[in-house]
Amino acid sequence: MEAHVFSNLVVAGVLAIVLAIVLAIAIGVRRSDLWRASLVELTRRRPIALLVVASYVAIALLDSVSWVGGGAIGSEGNMLQQHQPRSLIDRAFPADFDEKSYSAPLASVEFYGGDPLSHPGRHLLGTDILGRDVLHLTLDGTRIALLVGGFTSLIVIPLALLVGMSAGYFGRWIDDVAFFVMSTLTSIPYLLLLIALIMAMGRGPVQVCVAMGVTSWVGFCRIVRGETFKLRELDYVQAARALGVSHFGLIWRHILPNLMHLVVITFVLTFSGLVLSEAILSYLGIGIDGSWGQMIDQARDELARDPIIWWNLAAASTALFGLILAVNFVGDAVRDVLDPRTLRERQ
Amino acid sequence: MARFVAAALCLLGLVACTNDPYPDSAERARILYQPLSEPPRTLDPAVSYNAAEHLITGVVYATLLDYHYLARPFRLIPGLAREVPQARSLSHGRVAYRFRLREGALYQDDPAFAIDDPSARTREVVAADVAFQLLRIADPAVASPVIATFAKIDGWQEFSERLTALREADAAFGTRRIHEQYAAAGGIAGLKVAGRYELELILSEPYPQLLYWFTMPFTAPVPWEAVEHWDGEDGRDFFKDHPVGAGPFQLTEFERQSHITLDRNPNYFGLLHPEWRAPAATYPAEGEPGDEALGRLDPAYVNQALPFLEQVQYRIEKEDIPTFNKFVQGYYDASGILQESFDKMVHEGALSEEMAKSGMQLEKSVDPSVYYIGFNMDDPVVGRPAGDQGRKLRQAMSLVIDANEYARVFSNGRGIPAQSPLPPGIFGYEADYENPFRQVDLAWAKRLLGEAGYVRGIDPATGKPLRLSFDLGDTSTRGRVRFQFFVNAWNRLGLDVEIAATSYNQFQEKVRKNAYQIFMWGWIADYPDPENFLFLLWGPLAQSKSHGPNTANFSDPHYDRLFLRMKVAENGEKRLAMIREMRALLEHERPWIELFHRENYTLFHGWVRNVKPAGLSLPTARYIDVDPGLRSQRRTEWNEPVRWPAYLLAAAALVILAPGIVTFLRERQ
Amino acid sequence: MLAYVFRRIGYGFVTLIGVLLLLFVLFFLYASPHEMARRAVGEKAPPEVLEQWIVNHGYDKPKVWNPEDPFDTLLAEHFRRTLTFDFGRSDADGTPILQRLREGSGPSLALAIPSFVLGLGFSVVLGLFVAYFRETYIDRMGVVLCVLAMSVSTLLYIIGGQFLIGKLLRWFPISGFDPSPSVIVRFLMLPLLVSLADGIGGSVRFYRTVFIEEGGRDYVRTARAKGCGDLRVMTHHVLRNALIPILTRVVVAIPFLFTGSLLLESFFGIPGLGSLTVDAIHGNDFSTLRAMVFIGSLLFIGAQIATDVSYTLVDPRVRLE
Repeated sequence: MEAHVFSNLVVAGVLAIVLAIVLAIAIGVRRSDLWRASLVELTRRRPIALLVVASYVAIALLDSVSWVGGGAIGSEGNMLQQHQPRSLIDRAFPADFDEKSYSAPLASVEFYGGDPLSHPGRHLLGTDILGRDVLHLTLDGTRIALLVGGFTSLIVIPLALLVGMSAGYFGRWIDDVAFFVMSTLTSIPYLLLLIALIMAMGRGPVQVCVAMGVTSWVGFCRIVRGETFKLRELDYVQAARALGVSHFGLIWRHILPNLMHLVVITFVLTFSGLVLSEAILSYLGIGIDGSWGQMIDQARDELARDPIIWWNLAAASTALFGLILAVNFVGDAVRDVLDPRTLRERQ
Repeated sequence: MARFVAAALCLLGLVACTNDPYPDSAERARILYQPLSEPPRTLDPAVSYNAAEHLITGVVYATLLDYHYLARPFRLIPGLAREVPQARSLSHGRVAYRFRLREGALYQDDPAFAIDDPSARTREVVAADVAFQLLRIADPAVASPVIATFAKIDGWQEFSERLTALREADAAFGTRRIHEQYAAAGGIAGLKVAGRYELELILSEPYPQLLYWFTMPFTAPVPWEAVEHWDGEDGRDFFKDHPVGAGPFQLTEFERQSHITLDRNPNYFGLLHPEWRAPAATYPAEGEPGDEALGRLDPAYVNQALPFLEQVQYRIEKEDIPTFNKFVQGYYDASGILQESFDKMVHEGALSEEMAKSGMQLEKSVDPSVYYIGFNMDDPVVGRPAGDQGRKLRQAMSLVIDANEYARVFSNGRGIPAQSPLPPGIFGYEADYENPFRQVDLAWAKRLLGEAGYVRGIDPATGKPLRLSFDLGDTSTRGRVRFQFFVNAWNRLGLDVEIAATSYNQFQEKVRKNAYQIFMWGWIADYPDPENFLFLLWGPLAQSKSHGPNTANFSDPHYDRLFLRMKVAENGEKRLAMIREMRALLEHERPWIELFHRENYTLFHGWVRNVKPAGLSLPTARYIDVDPGLRSQRRTEWNEPVRWPAYLLAAAALVILAPGIVTFLRERQ
Repeated sequence: MLAYVFRRIGYGFVTLIGVLLLLFVLFFLYASPHEMARRAVGEKAPPEVLEQWIVNHGYDKPKVWNPEDPFDTLLAEHFRRTLTFDFGRSDADGTPILQRLREGSGPSLALAIPSFVLGLGFSVVLGLFVAYFRETYIDRMGVVLCVLAMSVSTLLYIIGGQFLIGKLLRWFPISGFDPSPSVIVRFLMLPLLVSLADGIGGSVRFYRTVFIEEGGRDYVRTARAKGCGDLRVMTHHVLRNALIPILTRVVVAIPFLFTGSLLLESFFGIPGLGSLTVDAIHGNDFSTLRAMVFIGSLLFIGAQIATDVSYTLVDPRVRLE
């Protein structure tokens, strides 16, 4: 129960930070013509994808608002439910909505055996092996996916920016140390390191996110370091330095703003990679409970059943595919809009 | 670009579109193709202990005794021994067994036999080889998992100690030939080689289960030459990867990661001396009622010398689903054990009509096994320290677990709901026994929970639902769904049970540290005797006391006394009475929630003959035969590739790309 | 220049030490020898056998510090043996690990090299193709297809590939491997197709971006202005100059040829290093895992050095310090 509350807190925290960032960006956008133009351009280019992403976020938010109590439970039902927090999404489904085992979408009888269901025709996407409503499970998976992508990105980006910029800008021993840490981490095959870390920290959503953060910040850090390296050598930066602008000032005024487009692009692009990685971890048995990856992994067996159970796989993979696709489209557009080179070409 | 696409298409076309996983030459031979889910770790008969390993060691090594292939309940028949020995009582409660070996049985041909005589390729199996293998089990350096099983043999422990002392005292001692080391350590007092073909075992106390161990590869004769020669030096294999035995097959290829090939051993006494009509090397003429109707007593096979197959091929297949698909395509002769529900194939315990028409056969067997949820009886909440309260909690938790429903949901109704630890086929199992706490009764469970002080599942100490931890060593998605089934049942009582799933090893570690509350485990018997089940709850073997297999840490003086008496009793009314008394204790105390006895469904194709499932991990390859002609015909019929999507895809690509390419060509001009 | 290379190699060695330290922490301090022993001797084995195994394998030494002999510790042993490629025996089944690595590298390479070469070839060609038709329907469709392909989970590609091509269409064996030349190709086809499908979306899109970026540069305009044909510009100027990012991507990918694809190999039953690793993970075969991590890291470090050196060779603006 505590774990549930905790992960909800994390999600709420993540969303608060994301909102803060959005707000900051909004303010920044109002000030800066370039960013405002970019945002307008983005909504013009990818309205549908943005809408899809927004609805995923909305579902995750609704699923994170939960409290204990309410919902009458029959004498045969799960008595524990009364003591557990249930989210808005959970409450959209009736209590005691479970069946005994598999049933096809909108079916009125069980898939095997043909016993009548207790809620015939009301499971839009059918039920899984334990009789749980697949639509409900799929909606719950949204929260996990956004947690994986969002929370990990929030670890990755500040860490990578800090290390990458200091290494690239100051060079010398800072670069050496950063390089040592980075190369130690990257020279261990990605999945192995991830697995080792999760095994060391134990299973759980936060652990998985932290492990993914530790393993994936290096890639972005490299980019930041390289870009800072290049920016530092640019004429106007050299000129500013010659004029006596402080290091901090230089980084803040000239380096960081020139990296912001990279941050936004990387955030969007790594997001999908992280969510997809979680699916692989689920296959290895160390993913997050309730994730789409786990549903897909479970469906591996169901596809071999005869006749096959397809709705579980279809629901989870469509939800996963939809999110990743929308995020990828948005990411593409973000890159096109923000990347100055493409900008130049367009003009 | 266009050229490249054309080249790629050519390349795809060149690859013959076929899903046949075997080189074509093997089609007509009498080869049995079987999947194996994990490679054997070791083929040293003193060490190998799991079913996959016994599949190989069980046919490479010939044992002194065997089980009758068709008769049930299991009956011992002589293997390499001339007859099944009888126990002979000696003074001071000691017991002796005398094994007489057949004369003239040979080992398979192997370079190891050239160790002293360069021209030798094989040699006769003698009683000293059995003694040698038993000495190896006693040798601590071999690390045999059954070292403690034979400790009742006089002088067993002393031999181990002497050997270790000699090795420690003198480094050069360890370099001597292995059988000479054993001889120098003085051998085992209760293990007497009486002549070339006779062996006598003297036990300090009666142990009727001992004979069962002589059907297993642990005690099969092993030539010392092989252990000495295959030492892993100078490019030679290790003995554990290069078994040398006198069994019906010999290992010819051992690619741990991909396949294992066993060829018929021409030196096998069944083939070399068909005139002996040795029971273990001749197809039986009688069986259980019904065997005849199922074609297991085909006159073409009865009284014929074994084995029938020329070769057995095991392919390592880690994923169940591709394995099953290959079986359906005809590339495996047996399906392996079915894990999933195949409603189309197996409907309500019988083969569907469609499948039966294709010649498939379904074989069912009940494993001598028990799967259970156990409580850690040392735990202050669910265990003995909680006294009556704890007992009522366990009883309530037992009353909501529906093993029938579990079997229905997860395994197509396979599995026999367990009422006690003893499975069918084991002495003491009574089909009409109903354990009151293994019926589902939610109302009674709630009442008991209330009496235990947890009204509606609320722990009075915290005012919240009682939290319990379900400790498991399986983090797979598949496992998780199964555990959730039990948790859901307990949730209906209002108990808050948390699944604490870790890797299997971390779970073992938790067990070692006694840091677990509720767990789930299974046991598969080594031999068909109730002792092999009831010892799992014997106090002295408690995990917390001796790291024994009694993981529930159940300890009850009355049960322990009964166990000691039951162990040595002959099967009969007296023994049954003792077992009933022990069962009643377990029924009331509930250290376990018995779940089910595993039932296996295996599918065989119509071209496989003489299949009879055993339950025990018995090597059966020597009795089986295949009809390669029928098989190759079926394989061709079943595997015609569906080609049109490829053409469709190519056409679609062309249609989409054509306008672009045309535009490009026009612009270029 | 040479000094720079030497310095990079020095770094590489330091990194390797870092990897070894991390390995020690994870696999010696965190994981207990009892876990390995239990796995190795089987769950039915009595405790004496367990202890014997631990002694036999030398896991009973002090971990970090031995007051009697500072070099007789697990830490010292770990460094000494790993750095001399003496990986010892597998904790799970006792086979020499070096032999397993040798056996596994064949099947791994048999899958990895064709999928790498074909993947690279297809991606570059398709990338060029799409970039050439930029701003036309082919480009737009290509990008959409790429994004669609990228959004599908690897698991789904594998499951779908086995189900569709293996089970329904029966084109190739669903899984398995056999090194004999008459059958090896049919076993590799399905994993190859899956790996192509899995990787091609991202790669084509990457190369398209690279090519379009290069195509927008001034020298390309100059070349065009001089009357160079579009195709000639693409192949002679754009492709040649885009070799830098392609090379970077390739060099960094080479170590993964060796470690193999964990998922592909274990799903398709190819007895390569990927399967070996997955087995080691499932079986807590720490010694094999250590060896795999070490070898993988070694190769990766080599590739990193190569990349860094090639950066400086390729872009003279990056100064050597």
